[in-house]
Amino acid sequence: MAGLAATLGRGAMSNPLEDMDKPDVIFCIGTNMTEAHPVAATRLKKAQARGATLIVADPRQIPLARRADLHLPLRVGTDVALLGAMAHVIVREGLVDEAFVAERTEGFERLRDHVASFTPEWAESITGVAAADIERAAIAYGRAERGAIYYTLGITEHICGVDNVQSLCNLVLLTGNIGRPGTGINPMRGQNNIQGAGDAGALPNNYPGFQPVTDPNNQAKFERAWGVRVDLEKGMTKVRALERAGEKIFAMLICGENTVVSDPDADHCRRALESLEHLVVIDLFLTETAELADVVLPASSWGETDGVFTNTERRPQRVRAAIAPPGEARPEWWIVSQLARRLGAEGFEYESAAEVFDELCSLSPTYGGLSWELVAEGRHHWPVPEAGHPGTPVLHIGEFPRGRGLFATPSFRDPAEVTDEEYPVWLTTGRRLAHYHTRTMSGRSAGPEFLVPEEVVEVHPADVTAWGLADGENALLSSRRGSVVVRVAADDTSPRGTVFSSFSFSDVPVNVLTGSGYDPVTDTAELKVCPVRIEPA
Amino acid sequence: MGPSDSDLIDRWRGAPAPLLGLLHAFHDRDGHLSDEALRAVAEGLRVPLADLYGTVSFYHHFSRKSGGRDAPRVCDGPVCKQRGSDVLLAELEGATPMPCAGRCDEPIPVLRGGQVLVGTPGEGLRAAPTPLPPPNPAEGEECCFAHVREEGRSTLAGYGGAYRALARARELGPEALLEELDASGLAGRGGAGFPTARKWRAVREAPGGPKTVVCNADEGEPGCFKDRVLMDHDPHAVLEGMAVAAAATGATRGFVYLRYEYPHTQTVLERAIDEARDELDDFEVCVRRGAGAYICGEETSLLNSLEGAHPFPRNRPPFPVTHGFEQTPTVVNNVETLASVPPIVERGADWYAGLGLGEQRGTKIISLSGDVRRPGNYEVPLGFPLHQLLFDWAGGPEDGRELQAVTMAGLSGGFLGPDDFAATLDEPCLRSRGSFLGAGGVMVFDDRRDMVDVARQAMAFFADESCGKCFPCRIGTQRLTERLAGTAGPTAPDAWRKEVHAIGETMAQVSACGLGIAAPLITESLLRLFPERVDEALARR
Amino acid sequence: MTSPAEHRLLLDGESVSFREGETLFELARRHGDAVPSLCFDDRLEPLGACRLCVVEVEGQARPVASCTTQAADGMVVRTMTEALERHRKALCDLVVSENPAGATIDPLRGSASQELAALAVRYEADGGRFAGARSGASRTDDPNPMILRDYDHCISCYRCVRVCSEQQGDDAITVGGRGFATRITTEFEGPLADSACTFCGQCVQTCPTGALADRRALRHADAPGELAATRSVCPYCGVGCSLDILTKGERIVGVQPAFDGPANEGALCVKGQFAWEWVQHPDRLATPLVREDGELVEASWDEALDRAADGFREAARAHGREAVYAVASGRAPHESAYTIQKLVRTCFQSNHVDNCSRA
Repeated sequence: MAGLAATLGRGAMSNPLEDMDKPDVIFCIGTNMTEAHPVAATRLKKAQARGATLIVADPRQIPLARRADLHLPLRVGTDVALLGAMAHVIVREGLVDEAFVAERTEGFERLRDHVASFTPEWAESITGVAAADIERAAIAYGRAERGAIYYTLGITEHICGVDNVQSLCNLVLLTGNIGRPGTGINPMRGQNNIQGAGDAGALPNNYPGFQPVTDPNNQAKFERAWGVRVDLEKGMTKVRALERAGEKIFAMLICGENTVVSDPDADHCRRALESLEHLVVIDLFLTETAELADVVLPASSWGETDGVFTNTERRPQRVRAAIAPPGEARPEWWIVSQLARRLGAEGFEYESAAEVFDELCSLSPTYGGLSWELVAEGRHHWPVPEAGHPGTPVLHIGEFPRGRGLFATPSFRDPAEVTDEEYPVWLTTGRRLAHYHTRTMSGRSAGPEFLVPEEVVEVHPADVTAWGLADGENALLSSRRGSVVVRVAADDTSPRGTVFSSFSFSDVPVNVLTGSGYDPVTDTAELKVCPVRIEPA
Repeated sequence: MGPSDSDLIDRWRGAPAPLLGLLHAFHDRDGHLSDEALRAVAEGLRVPLADLYGTVSFYHHFSRKSGGRDAPRVCDGPVCKQRGSDVLLAELEGATPMPCAGRCDEPIPVLRGGQVLVGTPGEGLRAAPTPLPPPNPAEGEECCFAHVREEGRSTLAGYGGAYRALARARELGPEALLEELDASGLAGRGGAGFPTARKWRAVREAPGGPKTVVCNADEGEPGCFKDRVLMDHDPHAVLEGMAVAAAATGATRGFVYLRYEYPHTQTVLERAIDEARDELDDFEVCVRRGAGAYICGEETSLLNSLEGAHPFPRNRPPFPVTHGFEQTPTVVNNVETLASVPPIVERGADWYAGLGLGEQRGTKIISLSGDVRRPGNYEVPLGFPLHQLLFDWAGGPEDGRELQAVTMAGLSGGFLGPDDFAATLDEPCLRSRGSFLGAGGVMVFDDRRDMVDVARQAMAFFADESCGKCFPCRIGTQRLTERLAGTAGPTAPDAWRKEVHAIGETMAQVSACGLGIAAPLITESLLRLFPERVDEALARR
Repeated sequence: MTSPAEHRLLLDGESVSFREGETLFELARRHGDAVPSLCFDDRLEPLGACRLCVVEVEGQARPVASCTTQAADGMVVRTMTEALERHRKALCDLVVSENPAGATIDPLRGSASQELAALAVRYEADGGRFAGARSGASRTDDPNPMILRDYDHCISCYRCVRVCSEQQGDDAITVGGRGFATRITTEFEGPLADSACTFCGQCVQTCPTGALADRRALRHADAPGELAATRSVCPYCGVGCSLDILTKGERIVGVQPAFDGPANEGALCVKGQFAWEWVQHPDRLATPLVREDGELVEASWDEALDRAADGFREAARAHGREAVYAVASGRAPHESAYTIQKLVRTCFQSNHVDNCSRA
C-alpha cells in the first residue's frame, strides 16, 4: 500500500468490484484470484465471456492463467523487468496518453529516459517471457479503452514489493487508465478486514483514517480527543518488533494472528516470541502462537460478534451476532477495553461495538460521514468525508490525493537470495482455494478438509523424475533457514525449476524456509521467492 | 496408425464450425470417442470438458464404446417396422436400432461405419444406390425433379457445365432477384413454409456480418427421404441454390448441415463443391455432418449444433435472419427450397407459380412410403389431390387391402383417415383438417396395422427425440407414450381420454418448439379416427 | 433517448410503463408477482424451459413464455386467464408427477429449495395426476461432504448448469443425454471432486427443488428450534460477500448467500458457503488461560486481565513505554483494531502497533 500511497497518495483499490465486469483489457499480475478471491474472479470470468481480453502474468499456470488470452510466465521475482519493458513498449509504440500525462502526472521525462534501455529482449533474458508476448501484452493494455490492473501478494511479498507496485503504477499513469469506471490499479486485500484494520489505525505510522502520526496537527487532534499525550514518532513495524524482541520489545499483545505459522522464518519468529517477558494472545483457538503466551484471552468469533468489516473495495459492512459465544468468550473490543481500564486509561467505557465504531467515525476523515447505523446498509465506499456524502466508488477522478501522479523509476534487482548450487530450486508460496491461512478455521470444517487434507509441494512432473523424487512420496525441502518434510505432488502448474506450496498446514511449516528478506520501505517479507534444495526424504 | 491427436486438432482448429468435424475425425479414426479424445478436443478447441461431454452424449451416433462406430444400426422407423426391422435387428450381431434413416422407399437401411446398406430379414445386407424418383405418372411438369433422372446429373458437366442461374442472379442484382423470387411464391419446403424471398430480404437488410447461408440437410423427420435424392443425384442444384442465396443476401460463407445417416451424400456434396469452386467464387461452402438428433432439423438447434453448442432450440426472437450462426445474419433453408431456386431464376417466377393448381403456386416433393404399391418421391403440384397421389400415382394398397390411415408431415402432422383422402396437398386444405403438409412425408397404413401401436411408436420417437429443454415436451411425450403403451395412466376410457387430452392440449399450446407442439397431433388424430381401437386397447389392459 | 415512461403496454387491462429491454416476466413481477416459474433466476439468462410463466399476447397464436419475451409498445398482455392457469396446473402436475416428494423438502437444502413445493401447494399437485416413470437418479456414490446430488428430485430446469457456467464461470456440470433421460452430470459421470467443480455451492442455492442440497446444513435438519437467518459478511477473504447465517437456537446450522449482497450479488465460494463449522468446534477457547508453573490453566476474567495488565505495566516500568507492542488482527472487526491502537497510543504513548498485513 505504501507504493500506491507514494505515487498516487492513496493506498487502496482504486475501483469497486462491480467495475470488474467493465474493462476491455484486464491485466492480472501476482494474483491467484480464482483461489484467493474466488467470488471476485467470477466477475473477471464474466468480463472475459463478454469479450474482454485477459492477460495474466504469473510464474505458474494457475487457473486464471489457463483461462487467459495471454499468459506471461515470468520467473519468480522479475516483475520489475517485465513491467519496465511493458512501459518501454508503451512509450515506443506511441501509446502514451499524452494529455493525461501532461495534465495529471509528474516525472514523465525521467521515466521515459529510465525505461529507454528496458527492451522486451532485455526483459526476456531476465524474466524468461518471450519478447513478443511482452510486446503483445503492452500493446493490448496500451490500446485499451478501459484497462484495469489487479494484483495481490504476488506483487507485494517481495523485497522489491514497492518497486513492483510503482512499476504497475507507471503503466497506469502512462495510459491514463485510472479515475474512470472499469480502469484503475487494484490491489485485492487478502483478509476479510485487513483493510479495516488499517482504516481503524492499527498501523505504526497512521492514526485512524490514514492520518500520519508525524503530523503535529494530528497529534493535537488525538490528544484532544483522547485526553492524553500521544507520540509524534512512528512506531515499529511488526517485522522490526519481532526482530527486536527481547532487546527493545519485551511485551506483546497479539490479537487473532497465528504468527509462528503465518510469518516468514518461523524458527526465528518462535524464538522472538519466546524471548518476550510477557505475551498476551487474544484468539479463538489455542493456536501455536497462543501456546507460547502468558495469558490467553478467548474472543467471540464471527457469527457471535457485532461489528464492521471493510472489504477490499473500501466498503464498510456490518457483521452481526447470530449466536452466543462459547463459555466466557467475549468480543475483542470488550477485552481490550477491560485491559486498557486496568492499565489506568480513560475513554474505554464502551457499552457496545456501536459506540466504538461511532468514535472511530468521528476521528477519521475517510469515515467522517459514516455511522454504525449507516454502515448497516453497506452501500458506501470510503472516503465518505461528511454526513450525506454518497461515498467514493472510484478513486482518483480528476485529481490524485497527492496532486499529480508520480512516475517512479524502479530498476530490476535480484531477489534477496537467488538460486545457486546448494539451493538450486525456486520455492514460491501462496494460497489454495479450499483453505484459509493457517487453517484455524477451514481446517476445522469438513468440506475443505475433504478437498485438501494435507499439504504437498507441487513439482513439475519432469522435475520429479529429474530430481529423483516420486509422486506421492515425501521430500525434504531445505533453505538457508531450515527444512521441512512434505509430500510431493507431480503437477504441471509450476514451471520446471520452480516448486509451490502453501503455508496453511502447521505440520508442514513452509515458513520455516522463507524470510530471506524484506521490502526496505514496507517491511513486507519476501514470501514469494525462496531458493531451496529438494531431495527425497 | 491414423493421424495423431495434434494432427487432427491442427487440421480443424482454424476451420469454420470445427467441433462436429473434429469429433467425427476422432470418431472415425478410433471407432469411438474415448475419454482421451474428448480431453484432447476440449483442450484443442478450448471448450469446457463437461460441456463437450454433455453435447456428445446428446447425439445418437457418437459412440463412447470401443468399436461402437462400426456396430450395425438398423432403422426402426414406422415403415421399416412394417418390413420386419425387429427381425433384422435380431439377425445382426451387435446391432442397435436407430430412428428413421431416410430410406423408406426401399428395404431396411442399416448403417455400418461410414456405409449405408439395405437389408431384408433372412436375406442379409447389400449396398444399393439411392433410388431415383419414379417416373412422373402424369408426365406433368416438375421443378426439382425435372433433370434428376438424367445420367451423370451429379457432375458439373452433367449439370450443364456452369451455374447459369447464378450468373443470371448476379446479372439481375439482389433487388430484382428478390422480387422475382417473391413473385414465384416459393416458401420453405422443410416444413415451416416461410416465404423464401422475405427471409432472404431480412438477411440482406440485417446489419452485421459475415452473413451465412445454411442448407438444412438434417432430414430427420420419419418418412421423409426427398432431400437425400436431391443431394445424391442433383447436388449442384442445391449448391447453386445456396450460391444464389449468397448473392441475394451478401453472404460469404455457407454450410450444408447433413444428417449423420447420409455418409455417402457427404462424399457427393464435397466432390460437387470441389468441382464448383470457380462457380462459387469467394462463397465458401463446407459440409458439416450431424451426429444423430432429430431436433437438429429445427433451425435454431441446427445452428447451436453447428456452433458446437448443446443443441437445444434457441428462444426466438431474435431470429436467425439477424442472429443466426455465431450471432450473425443467417439464411437457413431446406434442401428442396434451395434446389427449387435455380429453375425459378432461370425460367422465371411466372413459370414456377404456374406449376401449382388453383391458387397454389409451385410444387412440393412428397416422400410416399408404407402400404402402397409404388412408394417413392413424387413431385406434385401444390393443391394436388391426396387421393390421386395414393391411388393413381402410387397404385393404392395391395390386393385385398384397404388403406386405413396416412401420416402427414412425416409424423408431425398426425394421421388422416379415408375421409380425409379427398384433401388436396397444400397447407390451407390440410390445416383445415387439423394437420399440415410440413416436409411432405406421407406414410401409409393399410388395414393390417394396429394404429394404437403405430401411435405408440410415433410418440416413443418424439419422446426419444425430445431435447429435454422444455417441460411440456420432455415430460409430456413421455407421459403420452406411457399411456399409449399402457405402462402408466388410467385404464378407464373416460379418464384416459381426459388425461391424454389435457397433456396434449398443454403441450400443443405452450411447448417451446415445433416438436412438442406437433407431437399431440398423433394422439388427437388417433382419438378422432380410431376411438374404438383405443377402447379395445384399453379393454385389453 | 426515450425515457422509460414513454413505453407502455396493457397488462391485464391496466396500462403500465416498462423499461427498454424488460421482459414480460419482469414486468408482471413488478405488478403483482403472480406469474410462476421454475427455471427463472434473476442472475441467469432466461431459458424459457419450464413454460410456467406463459402469458397471452394478443395477436400471438399461442401463449408465449414471458421470461423470454421482451415487452413492446402497445402489446396487450394477459397473465391470469383460465386457460393459462389450466396449462400451469397441467405443467405443475407433470413436474410433480416425476417428483412427488417435491412438496416436502427441508429448507436447509438451499435458498431456492422451496420453489417447487410452493407451486405444488398453489396448484394442488400431489403427483397423482399424470403419474408415470420418474427421471433422475441420485448420486449417492459421490463422497463429497458438501453438495448432495439428490437427482431423484431433479426437474431438469438447468439452473445449476447455467449458474455454474454463466455466473460462476466454472462449467463443471452439464446436461447429459436428452429428453426424459436428461441428467445433470460432470464429464464422464464422475464425482464432483474429479471435475472442474470448485464447490462454490451456487448450484445448491439456485436449485428449486433441493435436488442439489447443502450436506453440511442438512445434518441439522432434525435439530430442534426455529430456523432463523442473520445477515452478516463472510469471514474469509477481502471480497466481503454478504450472507445469511442460519441458526436454530444457539446453533449455526448453515450459511446461505445474500442475493442482494453488494460485493457478491449472491455468490459465495467453498469457504464462505461450506466452511463455517469451526465457529462451534469443540476446540474453541471458552475461558481465559494464564500460565502457572509453565502450564496454561483456566482462570477468571479478572485474574486473566489483571495478569495481562500487570505484565504490560511491568515491562513498561522495567524497559520503558516503548517496550510494549501490539498486533491487531485483520480478521477481527474494526472495533478490535481501533481499541487496540487506542490502548497502545493512550496507555503507552507510543505508536508501536501494527496489523498482520505484512506477513
